[in-house]
Formats: sequence, C-alpha cells, structure tokens
Amino acid sequence: MLEVQHLTKVYSDGTAALKDVSFSVQDGEFLVVIGLSGAGKSTLLRCINRLIEPTEGKIIWNGVDVTKADSKSLRKIRRDFGMIFQQFNLVQRLSVQMNVLAGRLGYVPPAMSLLYRFNEEDYRMAEEALRKVGLLEMAYKRARELSGGQQQRVGIARALMQQPKVILADEPVASLDPVLAHSILGYLERLNKEEGITVICSLHYLDLVQRYASRVIGLRGGQLVYEGSREDIRRMTDAQFKEVYGEEAERIAPPSLLGGTKDA
Amino acid sequence: MLKFAWIFSILLPGLGQIVMGQVRRGLFALTGFLTSLAMAYWRFSLLAPRETTILGVLRRSLERRPSFTFLVLILLALFWILGILDTIKLAHVGPGRKARGLISFFFVLSLLLFVLGWQISEIDVPRMVKDFNKAMTPLNRVLWPWKAAVTRDTRVLSARAEILEGEGNPPGKPVPKPGNPYVYAEPTVGVSSKLDEKGQPVPGTIITLHGSGFEPNTKTDIWWEDPIGSRFQVRIGGEYLSVQTDPEGKFTVKLPIPYSIIPPGAVKGPLIHYVEAQQVFPIGPLKLSTPFLEIVSRMVETIVMGLMATVLGIVFAIPLSFLAARNIMHGSWIGMSIYYLMRFIMNVVRSIEPIIWAVIAVVWVGLGPFAGVIALTVHSIASLGKLYSEAIEGIDHGPIEAVQATGATKLQTIMFAVIPQMVSPFISFSIYRWDINVRMSTIIGMVGGGGVGFVLLQYVRLLDYQAAGIAVWFIAVTVAVLDYVSAEIRERMI
Repeated sequence: MLEVQHLTKVYSDGTAALKDVSFSVQDGEFLVVIGLSGAGKSTLLRCINRLIEPTEGKIIWNGVDVTKADSKSLRKIRRDFGMIFQQFNLVQRLSVQMNVLAGRLGYVPPAMSLLYRFNEEDYRMAEEALRKVGLLEMAYKRARELSGGQQQRVGIARALMQQPKVILADEPVASLDPVLAHSILGYLERLNKEEGITVICSLHYLDLVQRYASRVIGLRGGQLVYEGSREDIRRMTDAQFKEVYGEEAERIAPPSLLGGTKDA
Repeated sequence: MLKFAWIFSILLPGLGQIVMGQVRRGLFALTGFLTSLAMAYWRFSLLAPRETTILGVLRRSLERRPSFTFLVLILLALFWILGILDTIKLAHVGPGRKARGLISFFFVLSLLLFVLGWQISEIDVPRMVKDFNKAMTPLNRVLWPWKAAVTRDTRVLSARAEILEGEGNPPGKPVPKPGNPYVYAEPTVGVSSKLDEKGQPVPGTIITLHGSGFEPNTKTDIWWEDPIGSRFQVRIGGEYLSVQTDPEGKFTVKLPIPYSIIPPGAVKGPLIHYVEAQQVFPIGPLKLSTPFLEIVSRMVETIVMGLMATVLGIVFAIPLSFLAARNIMHGSWIGMSIYYLMRFIMNVVRSIEPIIWAVIAVVWVGLGPFAGVIALTVHSIASLGKLYSEAIEGIDHGPIEAVQATGATKLQTIMFAVIPQMVSPFISFSIYRWDINVRMSTIIGMVGGGGVGFVLLQYVRLLDYQAAGIAVWFIAVTVAVLDYVSAEIRERMI
C-alpha cells in the first residue's frame, strides 16, 4: 500500500507545484490522476519515486518512508516502481533490447552493467518482456527506428524488467493517436488485472479515464480537489468533469469506438 | 515644423528627416552620405596628388578619370536632391496613414557605394580579358602537370672550349680526344654582352662554335659557364639556343658572348669562360620524378598532421567541453564564472585563424610539421570544445530520468543515458574536424608549418608550375576523398 501524506513541493524558483496533497493507493488499483497541464500531476508522480525531492510530507511505501531513504535503500525502492513517460524516454541510439535491459539496472551489480553486460537470466527476461508487448522481432533495432506506439511498448517492457509492484505512468498516451492510446492503456490494464500491478496514471481525456480508471483523483493548482470511485466517474457528465478539470477537457474519440462508456 | 523640415535637408541630407522625428532614417542617410563623401574625396585626392585646393583636386580627377569622377559627383548630387524630396514626401502624409519615403533615395546610396567600391578595389575588366593569355601557360601546367611526374635517367654527351674575356693570351684550340665529341670556338677572345646606360643590351663579340663527333641528327644544346662558375643555357631573344647535328655528327653555330655579371675582384687573373655543347639522351625506364616523390611524402605528412591535431584536439576538448556546458556548470556562481570564462577563451581562440596560430607556432618551435600540429591543435580544441559543449547542453533529460527511475546508480545513469546520447555528435564533430584539419594543414605549410603547402609555395615561387600542379592535384584529390569518406562515416555512425 502506498500512502501520500501532506505532500508539498516548492521549486527553487518559488513555484508551489504541490500543496499538502494526501491520498492512499491500495494494491491492485488503477488510479488515474487528472488535472490541467501545470496542475502538478508530473511532479506528484516523480515525487513518489523521488526523481523530484519533495519539500515536505511523507510517502509511505509498505510501511517505509520513501522520503527518508538513503541512496542505497532508495535504489531498492525505485525497483518497485516502474515508470513510463509521455515522451517514452528511450535512449534512441541503443538497441531495443538494451533499452529493455536498462530496466534491470536496479538489480545488477553496477560494475558489470557499466560495460553493457548482463547475465543470461536478464537476457531471458528481456525476451519475455518484449514478447509480452509483441516486439520480440524488433529486439536488435535501434530505438529511434520504432514508431511512437512501439516505443511506448518498449517503455512498458523496460518497466516490466524491474518486476515492479507499481507502474507510474506520466501521460503515457498524450503523444499517441486514439487507437494507439487504447492499445497502450490496454497493456497497462492487462498488467493491472492479470499480474496485480498497481497502476498510477495521469490522463486527460474523459473517456479514457472513464474506461480504465478504478479510482480517480483530481489536481488543480497543486491541490487535491477531487476524489471519486469507479462508479462516481462513470456517472460523471461532461459538465461535472469540466468543473473539476477545467475548460480544456475533451473527449478523444466517438463513443462508438469505446467499450463501457454509458453516459457519453 | 513638419512642413518646413525639407529646408534642413537642403543643408545636409538626412537632417530634415531627423528634425521631423524619423531619426533612424535620417541618421542612416547622413552616415551614408558622409561616408561616401569621405571615400570619394579620398579617391579624388589619390588621382590628383599634387593639387592642394578642393576645386583643383576635382578638376584634375575629372581630367584623369572623367567617367568615374562624373558619376560619383552626379550620384552625390542626386542623393542630396532625393533627400530633400524624401523629406517633403514624408511630411505630406494623410491622417492615419503610415509615412512612406522614397525607395530610390536608398537605391541611389547603394549605387554610389558600388561605384566607389569598384574604383577602390581597382576592378579592371578590360585588362582581365586582354591578359587572359598570360594566365594560360601556368594554368595549363597546373591543370595537366603529369609530364613532370615521371623522369628517366640520362646519358650526356658534351664537349667544351675556353673563351677569354678582355686582355690576356688567347686560349688555343682544345686537344681532341679520340672517341669523344669535340668543339672549338672562333675567335677565342672577345667581350661579353653588356647593358648601356639606358639599359639597352649591347651584344658582345660573335663567336662561331664548331662541333664534331656528336650523335648525328640530334638536338644539341649550347651552355655557358662564366669565370665564377655559374652555368646556364644560352638564350637568344628569349629562346634557348640549340642546334641540330648533321648526318656526320657535326654542327656550326654562331652566338654572341652572353651577358654575365662578375663582381669586381671575384676572379684573379684572366677571365676564362667556357662554351659547351651537350646532347642529352634519356636511358632506362620511366621513373617517378623527385618533385613527385617529394609531394607524395609531404602529402602523407599533411594527412598525418591533420590526424595528430584532431586526436590531440579531441583529447583536450572533451574535458574542457564539460566546463563550457551550461547544464553541467549551472548551480553555483563559481561554476557559472568558469563557464563564462571557458566560453570567452574558446571564442577568442576560435576566431583567430589556424594560419595565424601557425605563424606564432613557427616562432615558438621553428619551421616544420610540429608548428602546424600546434596551430591546428589549438584551433581544434577551441572549435571542438564549443561543439561538444553544445552537444552536452542539447542532451535530452528524459532518458536520464527514465534510467534513474529503474534504480540505476549515478555511474550507470551516465553510461546508459548520457554517453549514448553524446556518442553520435562527438563522432560526427570529430570526423568533421579531421576533415577541416587536413584541409587546413595543406595551406598551413605556406607560413612554414610543414606539409604539402610548404613545397607548393616553393614550386610556385620557382615558377615550376608543373610541380605546383602536381601538389594542387594531390590536395584536391585528398580533400575530395576525405570529404566523401567523412560524410560516409558520419552517415553510418549516426
């Protein structure tokens, strides 16, 4: 279980990105974070695995305070949180396989990996992860040769290599077209349902939120302004959504393409 | 005020515009006018160096270069008038409309500067066309120099006879040796060709040279050796003197005793010259000529210089580039001051051309390739340092974040997210620099920095255009090949 308590982040230029945010995530949830750009979604996700140092507050992960962890135990904690990004953040020059293997860096002895060497077990895992996202035949291509959707699937495979308990997904489909968006979120949903991996995902299309989320929190100006269950969101109308979200909220595709959106 | 601004424009072009508030337009016109006026007066006074008054200068330059002087004066006047008209037009602008001046105003100024520029840079098209034939000889030799690339060993058949200049006992006929060629001169005493007070040549005593025992029907060259031992081929009217032997191997030829300078007191006793007839026969197979071999070895030296300078440049530039990258150095004022200092030094060093660095390096370590390597290295460090630091500044933070998120250590993050992003630009810039360095090292020899440029300049100064042509060909081919190779490698790497 992940508990976020009174989390506050003030950047060095004085911007308060998060103000006293508290919530908790049960194992196996598909939690969607909504909010305008600049509302603090990315900061929140990055504070959880301390890619960004929180200014105040606690993050309790299975009873351990992440914010107090030294670098050695932080390395162990980070292995539990796989992360995928809006811009995929693959190392373009390296092969797909090497990008996926990078997901093992938290486990392998540092000296060996510095020469881009991994053991047999890791290679086998990489093969498995690539098969899972359907990209096994692309293993030896360079990452930049892949399309956007394929790159994001490599991103997921990389996260899987960590054998994560949680996947943090920062706008994972914002750079993709609607069909690909469903394909990527479909992978996340399967991991969530079949392997019990908790997903914390920021999104900004109402219909995607309604389709995939098991719970939603809303951020506005760094503050937690909304919290709702699966049923709450499904009942939500566009007008209510916009109230939480702001005027820029929009639907991604005609409802006919989507399963499970009843009120659209 | 607006209505009468044109009166100021009568005083000086641009003044009216300034008065009515079009300050930038006015200043531009005023500066343009004063600059061209100053340049025009400078050129006029060069045409009339002895005149002291302005009017005198104008009259004299109108006499010497009527069209240029006239054109400049007309354009200056036209510019002045258009300045006034421009002011009037700017003043008569309807309400709510943007004031529009005359475009021709600035066109005339450009024309004026062009006319002055034409004269200052001494452009002379007729001369260029008329004297084109002068360029043909060297051009032909440079374009197709390969005759000079090969040579053969030679066998020389020669004989000579003594000639006395001035007072003394006339030398007798040489004694013939059986089996050897033989020449004798008539007379064996005379005076050499001279120049009179006006610099006109006065031919010396005409001598007749008889030869026998030479190879029949073969071209025979006549050479001369003066009392101080300088040897030269005799020329008559600019052409080398040579004669064809008859079927019995004999010849007769007349020539004046040639002009030669013997410093007073250089020779004690009688002034003895030698006239010599010689036949040259190539023997043996073709072989590469000395200039060709020299150029090849210098070309290798050039390429090696470029390589060494590039390698040394890379070695020094990599650490320095981190100090000149904003994203590495930001955070503390010490870091930022190092950053600005590095940027400043790199910009200064880079803006001084390698050829200038070579001049300094030649003074430092003497003539030769080492000086060239120093010059190129210094320039490479600054250029590569800047390019590398920009590559470092341009790396994408995303992959770094992603690798960190897996639980990687700092060193792992650098290996997996930072270095892969820098490999391509580093390789690309380094190869590009190698390309530039080899190109540069071909000319750096001209100031004594070693390499092919050194011998190229030497051959040009000796008027040996064929050898120079070989060097030019080698440079061109090397640069072209390198261009292709470096483009190819960069394509593969990135």
